[in-house]
Amino acid sequence: MLDAHIVKARRAFTIDVRIQLQPGERLGLFGASGAGKSTILSCLAGIENPDGGEIFFRDRCLFPASLPLYQRPLAYLTQSDWLFPHLSVAENVCFGIKNHARDGAKEWIEELAKRLDLISLWNESARQISGGQARRVALARMLARRPQLVLLDEPFTAIDRPTMNDLIAALLEWQAALGFTLIAVDHRAEILEKLCTRIAAIESGRIVQEGSWSALAAAPATPPLARLLASK
Amino acid sequence: MLAFTLALLYPLVGLGAPVGSWQWDGSIPGSTASAVRTSLLLTALAILIDILLGTPVAWYLSHPRGRDKVIWEAAVLISVLMPPLALGILLSLAFGPQTALGGWLLRIGVPTSNSPTAFVATQVYVSIGYYILAARAALAAVPRDLERVASLLGSPPLEVFRRITFPLAKLGLAAALSLAWVRALGEFGAVIVTAYYPAGMPVQIWVNLQDAGMPAVMPLLVVFLLTALPLPWLIHLIAQRRSSNA
Repeated sequence: MLDAHIVKARRAFTIDVRIQLQPGERLGLFGASGAGKSTILSCLAGIENPDGGEIFFRDRCLFPASLPLYQRPLAYLTQSDWLFPHLSVAENVCFGIKNHARDGAKEWIEELAKRLDLISLWNESARQISGGQARRVALARMLARRPQLVLLDEPFTAIDRPTMNDLIAALLEWQAALGFTLIAVDHRAEILEKLCTRIAAIESGRIVQEGSWSALAAAPATPPLARLLASK
Repeated sequence: MLAFTLALLYPLVGLGAPVGSWQWDGSIPGSTASAVRTSLLLTALAILIDILLGTPVAWYLSHPRGRDKVIWEAAVLISVLMPPLALGILLSLAFGPQTALGGWLLRIGVPTSNSPTAFVATQVYVSIGYYILAARAALAAVPRDLERVASLLGSPPLEVFRRITFPLAKLGLAAALSLAWVRALGEFGAVIVTAYYPAGMPVQIWVNLQDAGMPAVMPLLVVFLLTALPLPWLIHLIAQRRSSNA
């Protein structure tokens, strides 16, 4: 279970949110640009340290006494692929798998490569591949370690719609198979609608409403949220 | 541009100057070979120390942290900006046998003047600042996000350095190393104060000039240029080729 209380001062407001998720739950953080969604994700990932609060995941304390990034049982995918340019596609995908675990992960890696159409690129340099291909590699690399918590920060921003739909479908298949907890941030409501079962609406660093899409759409808690939902 | 390049390279014409027949051993038989050996071996040792001590410092300075970084950078800059002769005099005053540290080192068998130790220590002092500044720039050019991604994929800091930071910065680190090499190998002003013996190439060239004139200088001068120039030149060419391929 994820139990997080995050307090983080920003220039215009202070983020103060509590997020509680059962294993395998899928939560979308929805809100206007600059509402603090990405900062929340960044604090969960450990890229930024909260100013206060605490983060527990599966009885493990991630904060305070910030757990080093390399010990966090999570995967984090952002808008940028950040593939390692000096490595091949295969080396990128397998980067997080320790040598002693390579044999055990072989079938899983093959499945990822096959489902994400990476077989033909497998030995290509990460420098040589296209943007859509890079996104697939980044997704495979993130999932290769079978993470328990997946954080997605607008991961489908720079890709075309068919690729986006395909990647979302793949992600949902693996979420069902692996049972990881998922938190996604996106400014496009349709992506969160497809990816998540629960939505937390964020305004100026606070959760103003939480529930299913239909509940939010039926009775938005605040006028800005109503406007945002109307424009989606 | 051609005129400028010709003017820049014009000093090399001096290698063909009519100075009489070249005298390979100056005034002391075996001195040329000994100077070359001393310079190459002890400079290699100094550069190894630069790498071992300087790389972690450069890594620390390349990562944005607290305000204390400004102080450490200033300290590194002072070592770079120090005039070599002044540095040599200060080193001999600070490490000389009359000081507590120098006296103690002498008692445990480490003479701090006119010894290989003094030679290497002086070279480290004159070159490590250059190595750190150039290495810091190379390491800072590696995107922090790549290191973060590697960490989030389960790599501890040393593994991140080995698998991500170093491979991406290695050309810049090699350039830093070649800069330090040239700086250490060519050092004269500081070394002549702290380590007249064992004489490396610069000191021996000066001794030959004083004792036997230009004919005794020329052979060692050629060896000096041949050992100092190829490494940075090669690295520059590789860097140019890489950047044109990228």
